[in-house]
Amino acid sequence: MGMPMGDGAVTAADPAEAWAGEREPAQKPEEPSLSAGEWLSKNLFSSAANSVLTVVFTLLVLLAVRGLLNFTFSEERTWRAVKTNVRFLFTHAYPQDQYARIWVCVGVIAVLSGLSVGLLAKTGRGISMKRLSMNLMGTGGVIGLGILLREPSAVVDSEGLVVHRDPAAAVGDSFVDWLDGNALTVLGVLVLANAVVAVWFHLQGTYLRDGPEPRLAHGALVLVSIGVLIVQQYASGEVVRESFAEAMADRSWWWLAAALLAGAGAAVWFGLGDARRRNTFVPAMYVFFAATAVMVLSAWLYPWGHYAFLEGEFISEPGSTVAMTTKLPWTVMWVLLVGTFLLGRALSTAGAASRLRVPLNLLWVMTPFVLYWAVLRDPDLDWDHVLSTDIPMAVFFAAFGGLVVWYLAHPRIGEAGRIMAVVLVGVAVLNWVAAYFGWYPMLQKARISFLLLAVVALLAHNFAGDRTHRMRLVVAWVAIMAVFHWLVTLVNSPSTVDTPTDALFGGFATTLTVATFTLLLAFPMGVLLALARTSKLPIFRVLATAYIEVFRGVPLITLLFFFVLIFNLFLPGGMSLTDIAGATIGFALFSAAYLAENIRGGLQAVRRGQYEASDAVGFSTVQRTLFIVLPQALRVSIPPLVGQVIATFKETSLLAVAGMFDFLRIADKVISAQSEFLGVKREGLLFVSFIYWIFAYNMSKHSQRIEKRLGVGER
Amino acid sequence: MSSARLPAALVLAAVALGSCGGSDRAGAPVQQEATTSEAAEATTTAAEATTTRVTSLDIVSNGVPTNMLDKVQYNGELVCGVSGTRVIFSETQPDGSVVGVDADFCRVMAAALFGDADAVEFVSLTTGERFAALQSGRVDVLFRSTTWTQSRDTEVGLDFGPVIYYDGQQLMARESDGFSASSQVGDIAGAVVCALAGTTTEQNVSDAADAAGIDITLTTLEDFDVIIENFITGACDVTTADGSALAGRKAKQQPDDQEWVIFPAIPISKEPLAPVYPQNQSRFGDVVNWAVYATIIADEKGITSDNVAEMVAGPPDAEARRLLGGEGELQSAMGLAPDAFYQAISQVGNYGEILARHLEPAGLTRGSINASWRDGGLIYAPPAR
Repeated sequence: MGMPMGDGAVTAADPAEAWAGEREPAQKPEEPSLSAGEWLSKNLFSSAANSVLTVVFTLLVLLAVRGLLNFTFSEERTWRAVKTNVRFLFTHAYPQDQYARIWVCVGVIAVLSGLSVGLLAKTGRGISMKRLSMNLMGTGGVIGLGILLREPSAVVDSEGLVVHRDPAAAVGDSFVDWLDGNALTVLGVLVLANAVVAVWFHLQGTYLRDGPEPRLAHGALVLVSIGVLIVQQYASGEVVRESFAEAMADRSWWWLAAALLAGAGAAVWFGLGDARRRNTFVPAMYVFFAATAVMVLSAWLYPWGHYAFLEGEFISEPGSTVAMTTKLPWTVMWVLLVGTFLLGRALSTAGAASRLRVPLNLLWVMTPFVLYWAVLRDPDLDWDHVLSTDIPMAVFFAAFGGLVVWYLAHPRIGEAGRIMAVVLVGVAVLNWVAAYFGWYPMLQKARISFLLLAVVALLAHNFAGDRTHRMRLVVAWVAIMAVFHWLVTLVNSPSTVDTPTDALFGGFATTLTVATFTLLLAFPMGVLLALARTSKLPIFRVLATAYIEVFRGVPLITLLFFFVLIFNLFLPGGMSLTDIAGATIGFALFSAAYLAENIRGGLQAVRRGQYEASDAVGFSTVQRTLFIVLPQALRVSIPPLVGQVIATFKETSLLAVAGMFDFLRIADKVISAQSEFLGVKREGLLFVSFIYWIFAYNMSKHSQRIEKRLGVGER
Repeated sequence: MSSARLPAALVLAAVALGSCGGSDRAGAPVQQEATTSEAAEATTTAAEATTTRVTSLDIVSNGVPTNMLDKVQYNGELVCGVSGTRVIFSETQPDGSVVGVDADFCRVMAAALFGDADAVEFVSLTTGERFAALQSGRVDVLFRSTTWTQSRDTEVGLDFGPVIYYDGQQLMARESDGFSASSQVGDIAGAVVCALAGTTTEQNVSDAADAAGIDITLTTLEDFDVIIENFITGACDVTTADGSALAGRKAKQQPDDQEWVIFPAIPISKEPLAPVYPQNQSRFGDVVNWAVYATIIADEKGITSDNVAEMVAGPPDAEARRLLGGEGELQSAMGLAPDAFYQAISQVGNYGEILARHLEPAGLTRGSINASWRDGGLIYAPPAR
């Protein structure tokens, strides 16, 4: 919920896409293929020390996996607490009868993702059938191993409570119990045995020379160790557990899933026959679509159960089919994603990619604003005011500003243009001074429009050109005014969505909203700060340096406390920032300082010659910065920028400390305080960590792809 | 290329400006809930019609009321500070609604103020935030199981309404360790006692141990869920918290093979839980006080949400008649509708109903101390005349 989770889906969301070149990424030659045995002995058992490391770390990983599996699938876990609270975790108190709005948002993101990926993403070679088949078989194998590693389920009584063993019964009366009671000793013995074997062969000098036997001996030891880990699970411990046969029978669905995956992999492998045919490639997106299709289909076919809280009643129906309100929207989302992807592909084939790139990226930037203010808030527009004030004002600024732009972008405007720009700046400044002293009334958005116009007037001579070019500038100005005035009208209209709390929504929706708006605000701020800090003008340099050093020196949590809890006391009477606005401002000010430093690094990497060359062709400072310096600087800064994006995303969990109901706080504090699930906390925390991980991991993968495509680090 | 990029950059800038310059005067999105067209007119200072909720108490211009009661009525919604994470008093359900004793008293007030028990906006506050939230005007009133103490009443600059629940700190231990409901503080000598870190519970239990002349091992933890887990596994011999919280945990989390007991019968601390409102707002304070008293009087007279309609038709006595909005009613003089308390009782219930509704699922009863004064308890309201 909230956002599509595939890596490909996020591809074109990044404005960095705009600077993506058209180059094909350099393809590495395929590794010469090795047999499995050769690969193992070459990589995992190449020497005595390597063998010991392999065995020890395999055991440790297996222990950790076993612990996680046993924790997750234990009968003592109340996963119902998470299942019932899924909607609560993702949107908090957003009313259920308005939920269509949430789905519209997800749908819009799905459509844009599909279009962007279909239209703009480079297909590359995709995934080879060989890799696909090996991944499928590997996944099946891992699931199979997981089924074996997991301890047998505890026996539950008629009320669903775990049956405990009679405390009088002695623990350690069987070999299995002995294993369980001496887990550390057993592990130590296994590791020691491995080390002894490895060192022995090494001293004999036969490890690498004498064929595969020593390495096979080691492999056998690994298998024995895994076997011990599995057998250990059948110790009874404190609770009564099922027998091995019952445990395996209980996991028949998992066996089926493992068998299907491994079988599909094997079918691909053997069906294709030889190595050459296995080296055919399928596009990565199709694999992603197939995987998501399986998930969506399973919602229709497999009885995942129905858990909800409706009209004050807890609904808990394990074994029933998934509710229509869940599977239908997700199916629609999948269809939208795939449909728009295919549409994008078709448009791309028709050669529309270069024309649609800029509009599509603009849509991405607009989307969060429109979704939040127009869709989720459902603003209650005062039509009298809209018709009498808002629209006429927007028309006035569009027309007046359009004329100004048309006039000032004339190539030979000369001194007259400069005078006009200065006059406009004067008017804009006067309006703000007047606002401070209360001289004459004016709508705030009129003041901002005048300010925008003044900025554009100052910059216009940088963009002078012929008639078509000037016409485009005028159209751009009109578009800006339309968007700006429309947004202000939406922001100033009260929301009609009624929630029982003070916030429109919470949970993961808040996490995403704060992270998105933070980046949208912080990114331009960061660019400006970085430019100011490297500026030749001392006043800019000093101010930017002071800002960056102050905000990097203040802990983020302090800023959050200030903007969420204290800042309202400084505002004039009758106004207050909502928590989410305050938090976003705090995060944006903080992130901007860090982004600025990252971008400054990029700016310093742009070579002197680039500046001189742009001077030589007569570019103005603005033109040089916009068209020569920034594109190169941002390209270099991508890795640290994405690192900052991921950090910001995860730092939103600090909202909990500032008293907001973000994702983490609901899992940590609220669910465990519901009388139905009193004290149930670990399930929610595990789920939340998993979702955070999915998003952070995909962002990091995406950044790797961008880096590869832009050739960062290669030039 | 440049011609395509310039409009892109400009629209981007406009969008950013639009978002932060959208609201009037503040330069940032403002709260816009609970607006009426009058509110829009009143706050318009010849500028764009911003429709913000009135939160601060010191607004003097533009006809916005300075008085707390007028302000709340003007907003048309009561903003009620609750815990949101405390079973029995206020817990947040999976649809975001808040239920519990505290939440019901918020709804009683909303019914009295606006005739609509649902005209409440719940704000969940942590113990650290609650008083600042009240002082800054973020919430109108706190029903957040707050103990009425001298320092809070004086130093902190708050006023307290009538006590809605007499709680007290108690201890909980396992019966298998030889404890029973009649155990005393002296019996926990040598035990590992787990308490929440940095709270008065920690202080109270060590004071009580000193007074009883025994040594205990005090372990403090940050999270009561963790304390209960340690108690279940045996890492803690004794836990301590308010009696209502312990009873709720016992009802929900006691494993089959354990039997927990709560003692001593007379708690080791007094925790009178009362509503809190800003200082020097006596008209608003009257409404808080009398909304609570009305439910108590209704409890004394047996007026329940089920029979309140009949009671209006044929009131048992003159006090009930006045309280329910009949002849001689005093609600109008307070600035409320004559039938304010009728609405409160019919939509939410009387004191006994509210307590029973939330205590019983947790395995608790009103007990002797929260019984009506007629039954020997402390729940007593001044007469409505």
